[in-house]
Parts: sequence; C-alpha cells; structure tokens
Amino acid sequence: MTKIPSSSHSAEDGSNNPNPEVRASITVTKDQGREPRIPATLGKLHSLKGKKKDKHHRRVRVAAFRYCYYAPAFKYFVEQVLDADWLPLPPATKHTIEVGELNSVDYVCTPFKHMLGDYIDALDAGADILIQVGGPCRLGYYGELQEAILRDMGYQFEMLNYSEGIEQGAIGWGIQSIRIVNPSVSIPHALRQLGATANMVEKLDSARDFFLANGGFEQEAGSFDRAWDRFIGAMNEAASQTEISEAYRQVMDTMSTLPLDKPDRPIRIGIVGEMFTAIDERSNLDLDHKVMNMGVEVHRMMNLSNRFIHYNEPNMRRSCAEYIALDDGPTSTLTVAAAKKYAEEGFDGIIHAKSACCTPEIDCMPILQRISEDYSIPILYLTYDAQTSDTGLDTRLEAFYDMLAMKKAKSLK
Amino acid sequence: MIPSSTTNDAPVRVIGIPRGLLSYRYGILWQVFFEELGLVVVGSPETDRDILEVGESLSGDECCLAAKAYMGHVAALVGQCDAVFVPSYGSWTPRTGFCTKFQGLPDVVRNTFRDQSVRILSVEVDDITKEKEVAKSFIELGVQLGASPKEAKAAWKKATKAFENNRNRKAEAQKALLKNRTPEDKAQSPVILLAAHPYLGHDHYLCGAVVDSLEELGATVIFADETDPKTTYKASFDFSKTLPWVVNRELVGSILLLRDQVDGIVLVSAFPCGPDSMTDDAIMRYIEGTPILNLLIDAQSGTAGVETRIESFIDILRFNSMGGYIHD
Repeated sequence: MTKIPSSSHSAEDGSNNPNPEVRASITVTKDQGREPRIPATLGKLHSLKGKKKDKHHRRVRVAAFRYCYYAPAFKYFVEQVLDADWLPLPPATKHTIEVGELNSVDYVCTPFKHMLGDYIDALDAGADILIQVGGPCRLGYYGELQEAILRDMGYQFEMLNYSEGIEQGAIGWGIQSIRIVNPSVSIPHALRQLGATANMVEKLDSARDFFLANGGFEQEAGSFDRAWDRFIGAMNEAASQTEISEAYRQVMDTMSTLPLDKPDRPIRIGIVGEMFTAIDERSNLDLDHKVMNMGVEVHRMMNLSNRFIHYNEPNMRRSCAEYIALDDGPTSTLTVAAAKKYAEEGFDGIIHAKSACCTPEIDCMPILQRISEDYSIPILYLTYDAQTSDTGLDTRLEAFYDMLAMKKAKSLK
Repeated sequence: MIPSSTTNDAPVRVIGIPRGLLSYRYGILWQVFFEELGLVVVGSPETDRDILEVGESLSGDECCLAAKAYMGHVAALVGQCDAVFVPSYGSWTPRTGFCTKFQGLPDVVRNTFRDQSVRILSVEVDDITKEKEVAKSFIELGVQLGASPKEAKAAWKKATKAFENNRNRKAEAQKALLKNRTPEDKAQSPVILLAAHPYLGHDHYLCGAVVDSLEELGATVIFADETDPKTTYKASFDFSKTLPWVVNRELVGSILLLRDQVDGIVLVSAFPCGPDSMTDDAIMRYIEGTPILNLLIDAQSGTAGVETRIESFIDILRFNSMGGYIHD
C-alpha cells in the first residue's frame, strides 16, 4: 500500500519524549472559569427577539470555507438565497494551513484544519458570519468545535452551523438561516434560488467532468485552464438561472472546440475517495492537474451533484452488492461503486484520495483491495495530511503512471 | 436484513462474539439473546499480544488501535464457531449515532476475511433510540436462526432485561462508592474518573497499565461509562448541542455530573480515534476546575511512559489537596 507519510506521530509533546507511543497533556486550573460550553451569545450581531421582519437589519458579510471549485455556488447561495453579502476569499496560502493546523488537535481529520485556516482568513478579512455544513461523520461536530476554537482565539462572529436544527431537517435549516443571517428574507424567492444554486452545482460538476476527461490532451498548453477560469468568473457573476445556463453553454462550446491530441486509447484513471480531499485541489496538491498533465483521461464520480442531488444510495449499493451489504459511511458507497465501475469499464488505474484519519474511507480500503484483486486493476492509495509534500506526491504519481503505461503497452501488443 | 456472506445455510449452533469494540457495551445483550435462542456462545479470549499482532496484520495501518484488536478477535474465532456475530450500529442519527466504524464493520470484516470463508452473522441497528425497530431487527435475526417469532421475542426481552440490570447495577455501585466515602477515604485515596470508550477502558491489555498504575498509587478508579446513561446523555447537552456520538455524550455527561465529586479526570483514547480527537479537544477547552490528564495510546510496546505520566498526575493531585502549588 502506498501512503504519504503522516506527520502526526511526533508533534504533540516534543521530540525529547522517550516513549513516543504514549503521549499526554495535562490541564490544571483552580477555578471554574466558565460554563462547559461555547458562550453562544458572545458574538450576537443583532437581536431578533420577536421581530421576524426587521427593517433596521444590517446587511452582514458571510463567508464559507474554501471548497474546490464550488465558491460560485456558495456565493450564489449567500447572495441570492440568503440575500446577504458574500465575502470572497483569496486563494489559500501556506499561512492558512499552518494556522489551521496549529490550532487543531493533531489527529483530527485534515479538512478540519483546512477549514479552520479558511475561517481565520475570513474573519481577518472582516466576515460577520461563517457557514459550516453538517454530516454523518466527524463533520457533524466540525462547526461547534471550530466555533469554540475561534472564540478561544478571540474572534467575534456568528456561525451558521447546519449541524444545528438538523433534527427538523430542511425546516430547521431554514429557521436557522433566517434567525442568524437575514430575518427579512423572502421565502418563495429563496426557494426558487435554492433550485438555481443546485443547478449551478450540477453545471459546475458537468463542466468539470469534461475538463478532467480532455484537459490532459490540449494542444495549446493552458487553453483548458483559461476556459475554466473564464467559466468560474462568469459563474461568480451570475445572478440568475439564465446567466448560469449561459455561462455553462459558453464554456462547453469553448472546451469542445479546443484542439486536442488525444490517442484512441488513452490511459484512463478514476479518482475515488473522500468528499473533501478527492476534489479539493489545494488539499490534494493539484491532483487533477498532476494526473491530467501526464496525459491521462481523468474521471471522478465523486462530486456534490452525484453525492447529494442525484444520490440514490440503495440503487448504487446494488451495483456493487458483492462487496458491500450496508451503507458503510457518508461517501463509502460512492467510493466503492465508482471503483467497481471503473474496474468494469477497463480503466487503467484507480487513485484513492483521502485525508489522514478519515475513518469511513479507511474502512473502504480493504474493500477496494478486493476490487483491485478481482479485476487486476492497480490502485494508488493517497493519504493527505497538512504536511504532505509536493515532491513526494509527484514521485508516486509518476511511478504509478509508468506502471500503468507499461501494463497498457503489454496488453495492446 | 443483511444477507449472510456465504451461501452456506447450515444451521448455526455455535456463534462467536469477538471481544472488542461494541461487545464491551452490548456484549451481555447479545450473549443472553443468543443463549436464550438455544445457541452456544463463544467469546474470543481477552486481548493479548498475539491477538493484537494478528489484528494489526489484518488492518490498514491507519485504523485505530481498538479496530485493529477487533480484527484479531475475529481471527481468533475462525474455526471455533459456525458463524461470527458482527453487528452494524448506525452513525446516521445526529445526536445518538456511533462512529462510522461500527456502521460498516460487517462489510470490512467480510472483505478482510473473504478468502477464509468465514460466515458472518449480522444485524443492522440504525437508531438505538427506536427500541421497537432495534427489537424488530434482532427478532428477525432470531427467526433467521431458526427460532419462532415468539421465541425470538421472548429471548430479546430477556436479553434487554439482563442488559438493563447490568447497567443499573454498575451505576448503583458507582453511586454508592461516591456516597459512602468517609473523610479519611478522601484524604487517603483520590478518586479518578476514567473516561474512555468501554472497549478501551475495560480491555485489560490495552488500558490495564493506566488503571493498574492509578490503583497502585492509591487512587480509586471509577469509570465514566458506568454512570447512569440516562442522566449522562441528558447532561451532555449542557456541554454540546451537536456532538453526534452517543458514547462520547455519555462520557462527557458523566464528567459534567461527577467532576465536583472526583479529584481528577483521566481521558484515555485509542490513536487515532475519530470521535475522541474532537471531543477531547472540547473537554480540555471547556471543563475547568478539575485536573484532567489526556492520554493517547497507540501501541503496547511499553508501559513506562504511562506510569511516569500517571505518577506525575497523582503528584499534582496530592499537591493540590494540600493547598496547591498552582496560583492564579
């Protein structure tokens, strides 16, 4: 199994620890300084007592963590659905992940650290409200703990945490959004725009699929990236469903006419894995581009459309029933089903990308190993933590590519 | 109902229960249930070096220590029984779920042991708060094992009763211990609340060094998972609105309820436990007033490290009780 070495075994109590297998920290304080929970009222921006429509409501600046190419969808959601101001974030820097890592426990999963760093960037840039989503794994507790950490660091803000209100489902989320972000939001308008947001996510994913499958064979270096950047720019400016559709039409027109040097039977690699790391290029160190640039047709079933908008878990699980009988975790069915599909369709290799310590994806690995055996398809397992090195990844990917290319040459003879 | 992994439909007479993970919580429930159905139940032996080594060789190196040990326990049952019982406990409920590990466990075991044709018997529990649905799943399993629905129902009833009784007995004992402490006891023996997942805290091989060294230094150890779960679960909402894991909720609740009655708290986690990675951080941030020692165990090669840390922790408690050397 190939694995990018994890840094997590040394950090906590220093290098002079004679027994690295047991680590400890001690907290001793004499007074009961505070309540055993986050002081929820601390960052209160506006009181909403009994006033649902508040015309004196101040517009607030909302930010979210950086997530793949979905920033335009977050922006659209904040501006058009919640009717608040969106705070765009510049690309993450080295400082972002450093400060995120510094303020997290070392063995929490890596997206937590990335997101914490993003929030610090956002608050430094003047955000009033931070958005966090919820989920059935550790993600469900991200928001509350990140809020606690940021408050301990001295920041004042409010968190729109979709882990709260989850008991009442979508209604709970609606109440939560209205209460925290905008008491005077128009609900029918918001619902319509929510549909458009979902549509934007689908369009982003669909364009990305084309980009991944063909970008590696462009005749003119950078032509696909330029088309993509223009597309993201147009999506960022879109304020209606029509504009979303228009931006999509344009990028598809552009990309499908870009000249390609694509062999008849190119090397095809499927990327599977955890929802954050397998897609997010800043956490997986430009995995999409690194693989594409070797001249590979890249496929990735994992994206927000396939996981949320078109997700029919029982059906998908039936497609790989010989491997899994249960819904094993938030993204497990998608990972296993995608891997089996790639194997069946004769892909040359699979890359499994996940963050360090991601329990559900760790548990997919023995299952993927069976698929690899049954279909003789090589799988490269990549584990990313906050300190994973760029060169280490290059070496692994090149070796993997060489192996696939040799295998393919042999089979074509 | 989960299909059994092999087409082997021979009747199951001897069922194996791996001594790991949730068996430390629900073991009695499962054992009584199967025994009431007329099956012979064999447990794997207590964790030891061999079991852990086998488990480590069967697991990916990123799995948590307890999960690695579990694989060793399954391996120890191969050939000892007609089927191994590996249940799935869901993680979907937002406040009473389990770590995703427990949800996918049957699939992981099935794929890990695929070439050894181990028969896996499983049951799917999505939401432990829905007692009727849990009962239904188990009764279906009983019927699959050849019992009549009525027999299965009766067996389930006995099993839940035994489970409740056992929990209540432990909770009562803990309550009595704290209540009956004389001032001399208090002066001589500090009470330490050990907060760890039951499969860690009560596994003598994995966590014995912690408990033993505490007791050798004269401390009285009580377990957070043995506090009355009904009160602890409720109390945990004073700590967190969104904490998703029921076991962590019970541990945190116990800490909140007992922190004024104990002298110190020891958190023990198996590296790299997902739920604990976040909950422990929150506990260290928000529980003040009682000294806390946070231990992370990720190998069993030596116990000297544990002993040193516990010794220094107990020293701190003793200094504290004599007036303290930490000043604001």
